[in-house]
Parts: sequence; structure tokens; C-alpha cells
Amino acid sequence: MSTLAGRIAEGPVAEAAPRLEDTLTPQAEARLLWRIRAQMVRTMFVQALTTARLRVLLVVTLSVLFWYGLFRLFGGGFEFLQTTIDHDYTFAQTVEAIYNVFFASLLMMLVISSAIILYGGLYSSAEAEFLLTTPVRPERIVLHKFQEAIVFSSWGFLLLGSPMLVAYGLHGGAPWYYYLLLPAFMAAFVYIPGGIGAIVCLLFVHQLARVRRMAIGLMVVAGLLGALAIVWSLLGETEGNLLTAGWFQEMLGRLQFSEHRLLPSWWLSSGLLEAARGDGGQLGDRPWSESLLFLSLLISNGLFLRVLAVALASRVYRTSYSELRTERARRRPGRRFWLDAAVMNCTPLLAPKMRLLIVKDLRLFRRDPVQWSQFLIFFGLLALYFANIRRFSYDVNYTAWVNMISFLNLAVVGLILSTFTTRFIFPMLSLEGRRFWILSMLPIRRESILWGKFLFAALGSAVPCCLLILLSDYMLRVSPLVLAIHQLTCVLLCVGLSGIAVGLGAKMPDLREESPSKIAAGFGGTLSLVISAIYVILIVLLTALPSHFYLAVGNAGVDGFRIRLMLAGGVLAACLLGAAATLVPMRMGLKAFRDLEF
Amino acid sequence: MIEIDNVTRRYGAKVAVNELSLHIPAGELFAFLGPNGAGKTTTIKMLVGLLRPSSGSIRLCGYDVSERHHAANRLLGYVPDVPYLYDKLSGLEFLHFIADMYGVDKRVAEDKIAEQIELFELRDFVAELTESYSHGMKQRLAFAAAMLHDPSVVVIDEPMVGLDPRSVRLIKDLLRAKARGGQTIFMSTHLLSIAEEIADRVGIVDQGRLQFLGTIDQLRERLATHERSLEQLYLNFTAAELAEQRGNASADAAAPSPEAEEAR
Repeated sequence: MSTLAGRIAEGPVAEAAPRLEDTLTPQAEARLLWRIRAQMVRTMFVQALTTARLRVLLVVTLSVLFWYGLFRLFGGGFEFLQTTIDHDYTFAQTVEAIYNVFFASLLMMLVISSAIILYGGLYSSAEAEFLLTTPVRPERIVLHKFQEAIVFSSWGFLLLGSPMLVAYGLHGGAPWYYYLLLPAFMAAFVYIPGGIGAIVCLLFVHQLARVRRMAIGLMVVAGLLGALAIVWSLLGETEGNLLTAGWFQEMLGRLQFSEHRLLPSWWLSSGLLEAARGDGGQLGDRPWSESLLFLSLLISNGLFLRVLAVALASRVYRTSYSELRTERARRRPGRRFWLDAAVMNCTPLLAPKMRLLIVKDLRLFRRDPVQWSQFLIFFGLLALYFANIRRFSYDVNYTAWVNMISFLNLAVVGLILSTFTTRFIFPMLSLEGRRFWILSMLPIRRESILWGKFLFAALGSAVPCCLLILLSDYMLRVSPLVLAIHQLTCVLLCVGLSGIAVGLGAKMPDLREESPSKIAAGFGGTLSLVISAIYVILIVLLTALPSHFYLAVGNAGVDGFRIRLMLAGGVLAACLLGAAATLVPMRMGLKAFRDLEF
Repeated sequence: MIEIDNVTRRYGAKVAVNELSLHIPAGELFAFLGPNGAGKTTTIKMLVGLLRPSSGSIRLCGYDVSERHHAANRLLGYVPDVPYLYDKLSGLEFLHFIADMYGVDKRVAEDKIAEQIELFELRDFVAELTESYSHGMKQRLAFAAAMLHDPSVVVIDEPMVGLDPRSVRLIKDLLRAKARGGQTIFMSTHLLSIAEEIADRVGIVDQGRLQFLGTIDQLRERLATHERSLEQLYLNFTAAELAEQRGNASADAAAPSPEAEEAR
């Protein structure tokens, strides 16, 4: 026993009780929370630079390459539009429409993403629970988490938006202050959807206990129907052919809703376009002051929403936290769910224990709304696009065009699937973490656990992906040969991407981390994403290029043996690449997993 | 001091805490005992302001926890069973953060932090990031942080989980000393032996209802009457309730009131 401990046992230790006048001011609370955040960020940077230099280098290099790639793409896009339209006024109108639609879509997405992120931060994070037991004011906790949500939800906007805006500035010869105003505009803009998202999140949770579930369900269905109606009206068949002047005018007319004067996205695009205009040349025409006016509008509205969110937080955050935490969990029926029974019945060739593992993973997936909702949103949007593909007036009689679109659709499905396998399949093994003793004690070989996860990922992704591609091909009326190649390619993508995610997930597990997004954002996850993206591009190229030549030659009436050979060679090479992408990471993962100690 | 008056907390239709009334004066070490799912953690979460009572009121040093949570939390020190620490802060940075958050004067804070480091034997690892700590190290740091601002009320959920025998001894001595110094200690535990050793009074809760409230001596009297061990007595309190539930008997009618228990 230490001397001090002995001293404690002898007599009272407590001195003067804390005085209430020592309570921190709201400003001091803010400074304190900023200080620890700065300390943590600094620590993470130092750790990354000392222990994970390769990872930092890879992430920075990829980000720069990605940014530059987008910059060139947008630069090329503006050039293409300029030369295609060949009319300054229509070009300016088109760019304005692009800005308006881009920022309006972004506005919606940022509202939703910041509300979802804030929900997680305020109602299910350990930090929020800890802070609620301290004297920190509830509105300060909400602001602390709100700032986090803004950063997490808008970094994609910076990465996607900045290359487009810089490319436009360079293309149109914007003045120097345009580039200076860009960050200010972007920061001011993201505050508005962030604020709306915070208010929506707080109100939604606060009212959750009062509103019947049926009413919430009806609201969600009404919202979805509204969104569907907007998309439907946008995708309606056009009079003119694709990319003709008539088509442009018609599309611009349809996108007029995004020019509503009360939309913050319109303020942003107008402010930026004014700044990019430079000197008006005419007396009294001062585009920079117009631009500053729009910036002020964005800032004032952002701050107003912040004030609203703070006022709301001080009233409802603690109550809503308590209400949410005391909601009775739904009882699970004892009988087996039909989907689990179907999986068990449809996989008679697999060992029973492996089938049980697959059903376990399926159950976890089903009960995690974050996973299935994202899956549903992305694949639902793709299905909507594919179902309406003919409305874009693509000339389905032009074989090369159809072929290109169909393979681009395949690549999009593959790339989206690669983000899903990285985000949800890669962390699966790491997430077993502290529960791993359960699996390791089971009378089952470790290899079977890994193969079980692989089969779950491959089968689970192959069904929706193949159906989506089938829909796309049906709408594009592709030839049976191309359809067969697409289905094979799709299966190769699903199997290969599952192999990469499961194999690398076992090779580089992070058993201490409990957040799947953090595991996916780690070095292993980043590597898995990069390899997956390369794999998708290679597979699609291997099958798309020979198909393109095959169809081009067929249309010219030439029956080339070498072209057919090339097509077969491409498919064979894709199969070999698919096998390698599946087996090599799985082999590495199996070895690492066998040697893993818990 | 802690005043819990007729507090009920429901989770949907399930009643987790049922008309709980407890008055714990300053300088008392109170042990809250009960089996899993008895309502201990719900009571603690209401005490620290995480959950609001469905009905009834809780006051800490005269401040209603639901209405004046800011003032109440200012006077509270809380050690949860699984403490939250910022992974990317060192133990020392965390202690400074807590001292600043409770408005402890800079110079006083330095002395206090040094004292806590010495007391909880944190010196060897306090400069390291908390992500590298074992559960026991985290628990000791959480205790140090909770005691830093000399709170009037200390609430502890399962204080001895994950601690080595030396730390357990230290915590027991500390809690007794703090109670002698005038602080109110509310401690939930599964371990009857700890309550027996250091608590002034114990409350046994089951199915959200208080089954016994009294001093250790009163508990011992019951023991002498029934010639049973404390453990047997504790199991009897909780098993009786369970049997009543199974027998479809009304819990409200069958459960003895805390006042009646105390009188006995």
C-alpha cells in the first residue's frame, strides 16, 4: 500500500465542494472542446507520420491524382460543351444549369448525410454519453458534434466540387479573387445544409416517441414518391436527339426548378458565376460586389440556422436522448425468418456449419440499417437509371454507342460494388474482434469461417448486380452474346471483389477498432479499395474492348476469325484475372487467419 | 446529498425502476445491490442525468437533475463501469481537460492532478495515449478524473470490475475516506462482500423495486434471525420476487415497501 493511500485511510480528503460560480462560460466550453480536438488531431498526424508513412503517402498521392483526374475531366467537359454548343449565351446558360443542379443535389445530399452523421454522433456515440454526464451544456455538445458532422459530410464536396470550380475558373479566365472566394463560398454553403440537417435530426428524434410509426412510414413513403416524381419528370422522353440544341433547351427548361431564388444552391452558383465573370466592362456593373452579396447571404443564413439549431438543442437534446435510450427494443420472434430459411434450403451443397455462418452474417446485415439502406439507395438509383435508359433518347440502333453505354453501366455497378465490399465486407473479420473467441472456439476450421464470409459476400452481391445488368441490357436491347459476356463479367466482378475484400480483411485485421467506417478508412481498407477499383477497370476493359471490335467488324459485314479469337482471349484473360483476384488475396488471408492469435 | 422521490422509469411497457425512493445524506457510502437487469444501471443513469425519470424527481445537493442538470452535474463525479476516455489523448491531457471542464483553478489543478497521479499510481503510464491502457488502467484514470474536482456526490457503477487486488484495496480505502470527508457515495455492485465491508447502508433492488433498505447491522440482524449467510439472504430477497413473477402474482401487492423494510 502506498503512503498516500494510507493517508487517505486515516482521514478525510475532500476539501471545499466545487462552487457553482466556477462554471465555465459557453465561450470557455467551446475553447476547451476545440483544444482537445486540436490535441487529438495533432496526435493522429504525428502517429500517422511516424508509424504509417506509407499509408499517408498512398492516401495523399491517390487524393492528388484523383483531384487532378477530376480537374482534367471537368476541364475537358467545359471544352466539349463550349465546342458542342458554340454559342456563348447557351453555353453560359448550360454552365449555370450544371452549377444549379450540381449544388441543389449536393444541398439535398448534405442535409441527409449531416443529419445521419449527427444522429450517430449525438445519440449513439460514447463521447456524447460521456459529455452528457459532465457540466458541458447540451447545446455545446450538439455544436461540437455538428462541427464534426460538417467536416465528415462535406469533405467529398471539397474533393468533387473544387476541381470543377477551379477548372471552370481557368476555362473562363476568372479573375484572381474568384479563387480567393472559392473556399469562403464552399465553407459558407456547407454550413446551411449542415444546420438544416442538425435541426431535422433533433426534431425527428424529439418527435419520434410522440409520432406513431405508421405516420413516420407514411412520411418516408411520401418523400420517396415526391423524389421519384421529380426524377421521372427529369427523365421524361425528349423531343430532340441527345446533345442537339433542341435537347439542350428542353433539358434546361426541365432543370429550372434548381434556379429557385430561395435555394441556397442558387445563391452559391450565382455568387461563384458572378465572381468568375470578372470586370463587367459596363459602368456600374460590379460582379465582385454581386458575388460578395451572395456570400453574405450564405453566411447570414448559415449563422441563422446555427442559432436555431443551438436554441433547439438547449431545449430538446437531453430529453430526446433520454427518450430514445428508453425506447423498448423490439422483441424478435423465436421462429426463423423466411430469408434465413431460404438461404439454408438453397445451399444444400455447403457444409451445415458454413451455412449457419452465412445466415449469421446475413442476419447482422439485415439488422444494420446503415448497411442495407446504403445498399438500397445506391442500387435503387441505379435500377431507376437503367429502367429509364431509353428516355435519354440514346439511339439504340447505333451498336457501338449501345455497347459503350452497356459496358459503362457494368463499370459503374462494379465500382459501386467495390465501395460496398470495402466499406462493409473488408471490416467484417476485424469486427469479430473481441467476440472472436466465440468463433475460434467453435468446432469448425478457421478456413471455413473465411470461406463462409466470402460466399456470403459473393452470393449476396451477385444476385442484385446480375439482375441490374440484366435490366440495363434489356433496356439497351443488346445482343445475346454481349448479354452473356456481361453476366459472366458481373459474376467475375462479384467473386473477385469479394475475394479481395475478405482476403485483405483477414490479412490486415484491426481487432481493436469497433467502428467499421474507421476500419475501412484505414490502410488495409484504402489498399482494398484501390486494388478493387483497378480490378474493376481491368476486367471491364478486357471484355469491353474485344466486344467493341467484334461488334464493329460484324456491322461492317466482316467475319474476322482473329476478332473472334480476340473476344475469346479477352474473356479468358478476364476469367484468369478473376481467379487470381479471388485466390491470391484469399490465400494470403487464409494463411494470416490461421496464424492469428487472440 | 441524493434525494430520489417516487421515481419510475419505463422502457415502453416495461418498468425498469418502480417508484423508487431513497434519501442518502452527505457523508454516507451507499451500496446499491441487485442481480442483472434489476434496475441499478437505469437508476445510475437517471442520477447522472443521462435518462429522465418517467415520473418522480431526483435531486443532487438540492438541484433537480432533470431541470438543473448543469448545476447538478457540476457537483457530481461519475465513474461508469466502462469508462470513456479519449483514445488520442494521454492520461495527463485527459486529467487537464477534466480539471478545466469543472473550472478548477490552474494552480490548484496542477496540485490536484499530481495528487491523483500519486494516489492512483498512474505515473508509469499517464504520459501515454489512453488507447494503450488496459481496462484496469482506464478504470484508475477514470477514478482520478472523477475525484479531481472534489465532487459533493460520487456515483460509481461496478467500481471493482477489472481492478487488481491492490487497486481494489486502494479504492475501498478511498471511498471510505471520501465518505468520512463529507462526500456522498452511491455505488452499485454485484459483490455483496464489498458492500458488507465498506457501505454504511445497502439497498437491494430487484425487478425495479427496492427489496431491502437498511444498514449493514440491520442486514446482519436479519442474518442472525434467519441463521443464514449474507449471500443466502441476498439470494432470498431476489428469488422471492422472481418466484412471485413466475406465479403471476402482482408485484405491486407482494413487494415490501422500502419503508417497511427499513423499519424491520
